[in-house]
Amino acid sequence: LATYPRSPTDGLDNDQPQVLTGLWSLKGRIVFVTNGERFDHRKANRSGALFLVAVASFLLAGAPSFAQEQPLRALILHAYNYTFPATTLASEGARKRLLDRSPKRLEIEAEFLDLARLPGDANALRMATFLRDKYQGKRFDLVLSVGIAGVPFLIKYRELFAPNVPVVFMGGTREHLATLQLPPDITGVLAGVDPDKVLELAERLQPHARHLMVICGNGELGVPWQRWAHEAINRRRTKLEVTTRFDFEYDALLEEISHLPRDTIILFVTAYADKLGRSFIPADFATAVAGAASVPVYSPFVTHLGTGIVGGYTETYESLGEAAADMALEILSGSDPAKLPPRMNPGQTFRVDARAMDRWGLKRSALPPGTVILFDEPGIWKQHRLLISATAAIVTLQSVLLTALLFQRHRRRKAERSLTVSEDRMTFIATSMNVGLWQFNRATDELWATEHTRAMFGIANDAPLTRETFLTAVHHDDRRLAFSALRGALKGQPSTTDIRVVPADGQVRWIRVRARSLLDETGAPDQLTGVFFDITAQKAAESEAELHREEVAHLTRVSVLGELSGAIAHEVNQPLTSILSNAQAALYLLTKDSPNLAEVRDALHDIVSEDKRAGDVVHRLRGLLKKGEARSELVDVNEVVDSATALLRGELINRRVTVETDLAASRPTFFGDSVQLQQVLLNLVINAMDAMASTPETQRRVRIRTQETNAGTVEILVKDNGTGIKQTDRKQLFVPFYTTKDRGLGLGLTICSAIVRKHGGTINLRNDETGGAVVEISLPAHAMMMAAQ
Amino acid sequence: MTETAFTVYLVDDDSGVLKALARLLQARGYAVRPFTSPQAFLADHDASVAGCAVLDVSMPDLDGLELQQELTTQGSQRPIIFLTGQGDIPTSVRAMRAGAIDFLTKPVSDADLLAAIANAEREDGEIRSANASLNSIKARLETLTPRELEVMKHVVTGQLNKQIAGDLGTVEKTVKVHRGRVMSKLGIRSVADLVRLAEKAGITGRGS
Repeated sequence: LATYPRSPTDGLDNDQPQVLTGLWSLKGRIVFVTNGERFDHRKANRSGALFLVAVASFLLAGAPSFAQEQPLRALILHAYNYTFPATTLASEGARKRLLDRSPKRLEIEAEFLDLARLPGDANALRMATFLRDKYQGKRFDLVLSVGIAGVPFLIKYRELFAPNVPVVFMGGTREHLATLQLPPDITGVLAGVDPDKVLELAERLQPHARHLMVICGNGELGVPWQRWAHEAINRRRTKLEVTTRFDFEYDALLEEISHLPRDTIILFVTAYADKLGRSFIPADFATAVAGAASVPVYSPFVTHLGTGIVGGYTETYESLGEAAADMALEILSGSDPAKLPPRMNPGQTFRVDARAMDRWGLKRSALPPGTVILFDEPGIWKQHRLLISATAAIVTLQSVLLTALLFQRHRRRKAERSLTVSEDRMTFIATSMNVGLWQFNRATDELWATEHTRAMFGIANDAPLTRETFLTAVHHDDRRLAFSALRGALKGQPSTTDIRVVPADGQVRWIRVRARSLLDETGAPDQLTGVFFDITAQKAAESEAELHREEVAHLTRVSVLGELSGAIAHEVNQPLTSILSNAQAALYLLTKDSPNLAEVRDALHDIVSEDKRAGDVVHRLRGLLKKGEARSELVDVNEVVDSATALLRGELINRRVTVETDLAASRPTFFGDSVQLQQVLLNLVINAMDAMASTPETQRRVRIRTQETNAGTVEILVKDNGTGIKQTDRKQLFVPFYTTKDRGLGLGLTICSAIVRKHGGTINLRNDETGGAVVEISLPAHAMMMAAQ
Repeated sequence: MTETAFTVYLVDDDSGVLKALARLLQARGYAVRPFTSPQAFLADHDASVAGCAVLDVSMPDLDGLELQQELTTQGSQRPIIFLTGQGDIPTSVRAMRAGAIDFLTKPVSDADLLAAIANAEREDGEIRSANASLNSIKARLETLTPRELEVMKHVVTGQLNKQIAGDLGTVEKTVKVHRGRVMSKLGIRSVADLVRLAEKAGITGRGS
């Protein structure tokens, strides 16, 4: 930054577009090595510096062999160094124009005075001496000074290295020129920095503006510009109210301009330093001002375009170089430089930044004719319509595709969500109903189950839900049952098994396991799925109901036996009578002198058998009176009939009723409780006797028949010759507490029916064609009964 | 003694009881005829044989009391002893009224049974001896001529010969002859004896 030009009088030293510095630097280097040959710098751009160096060396070495005639020689003398874009652009414009239009072969040398970095006479002399030594024995036809700052040096030292060679300079202003005493062979092209024109542009674009603020930096480089700006504005006699900001503090300035009235124009000239002595790059300063300002900013320098300022009346540095080259070519063609006085660069024009225009809402229609609009975005459309259309089409297509995909995703999400909701709902219902759901994959040995199963099986929250965890909870005695049920299910038969589960708290629970298999694609079962029901309460209710049924059955048995007590007593009395008489007979026989011992022995035998007979009756009674759990055993139906009729014998005799039995020779059997079946028969026979109370004594017959059917059932028929069943009673005979008897409880048939049903059988009551009623009981032969529980 | 031996007829549908009772009584020297059904008993019954019947009250088809009835209907005077498992009072009263010797409750002790049978034996003897004297009177009465029987009927009413002759349209002397023959045929000496005999034989005075 210290290398910036020190003087505002040089039209080239003002501003540098910093973003382009690297590129311009490269171009500067090309100029530096070109050495008079035509050289396509664009190609060199692509090929790289090393290549260029090689080519340049070759050209330099081979140059003399091309010299068929004496070429023209020009020296381009940069006032500063190659890092200055303004001078580089200008010299590049000049060099191109020279090479294009030179009437003869032209060799161009280039040198950098670097006056900004190395000021002072000593340095100037050293440079001049260097040039003299370097170009010893060579003659130049023209010296091109890039920047007017080089002119004083040339006036002073030209004799050392280019004596009497005409000089064409580029840059500088009239004011600048006025300070110099130019010899007649030094002429050039002046830069046209014209604040007048800038203000014209500003006033056109902002017709309602009332204020003008002129900003120009302080310091050695700034002060001449301040003066210049002052004079320019005075010359113009503007109606605007002018304020100047020359001696400002950077931050305060930015703060101030951020809330200026809308009807203000800012003219930013340049700034290298502020009041506090801080130094700045003018282009950066322009960027800051344009960014902070609340109103449009204008500037006379082209390098400030693109920083955010609206625009100005500017020239390009290329055009400056080209104008200088044109003047040089005239001289090289033989014109007398003395007759060519310094002139203005004709390539000046209005230039605006379309983006800044848009930012402030400035109308393009207000622009002066011929204004160059830079950074105009719509140009891209014109240039690349097809590409843009294609891109747009592709983007549209992609958008449609994207939308479709998004829509699909949305639908999938929705489906997933509804699935989740449905699953949640199912789990909630299952949990509410105390039901657990599970699935087992046979191949992977993986088990899935709802969380609720933990509560059912008493599995800890942190324990994994695996097959082992579940099996451990199952009651030891039920594991085999559970296994076989699941194996059955895997073979394709849906199974329902009730098992006991012993959770950690030790409270046994009944779980009903329902399982069915899921088939894989080959139709083989590879998964089991099912449900756990907690049926503990049901089981408890069942066993309680069973208990009640047992109790009622027992009570009715006791009550029946109470009714029969007289008859039953008779049954016990008979053997007792027999025993007593036999015993007394025996005793008497023994009192004789020669007792008949054979007779005594017979008597004793009879006593034994009669005692057994009495014991049997007592045993039967105890069975009927005992209040115990139902048994499950193989029951001989004929035996039960015999036993029941034996108990009833006395009662039958008393009631003048005879029993005829017709018992199946096959001795049918079933699984169940003989006492309960006996109770059924007692009830039925008593009913039969009751029904025959008004039947003539000779016809009071109860027929009991047992038979085995082909259907695998055992049938027991009890038929009487009584009054039969009244139509009105028929439907209610099995209803508890319904009775047709004067002293009945109304539980007899209810109990009979319950017992038969519990044994898996049926009981049916109807009138017989021959008179009286028939009860038909059908029981599954040999079948395993529920009574087993 | 076989023909005249006191026989106990046992009727009980329970063969065990029947056998035991039979054994007991036989040991005591009674002739016993056991029957398991009343029908069998009735079919085999000989009223002329001295003895008694021991009947179980509750038997199928025909119970003890009905059997008693049947025997009476047949004119049997055989003493009856009832045995019962359930000694209910109405049944026993009915049985006793119908002439039962005793109503015993099972199981019956040998003493009770034997005492009852002894009573029955005595009664049977009395009946039989009563029946025997009557039979001899009847036999003697049958030797009388109708005229003699007629005169006798008048005599037992306490009529004098004269009155009898007047009633019969004959003379006193003839009446006196008939009267003498009656006394001699019947083997009695006094009118008082004649009256007692006529009473036994069921002969009432003068057909009134």
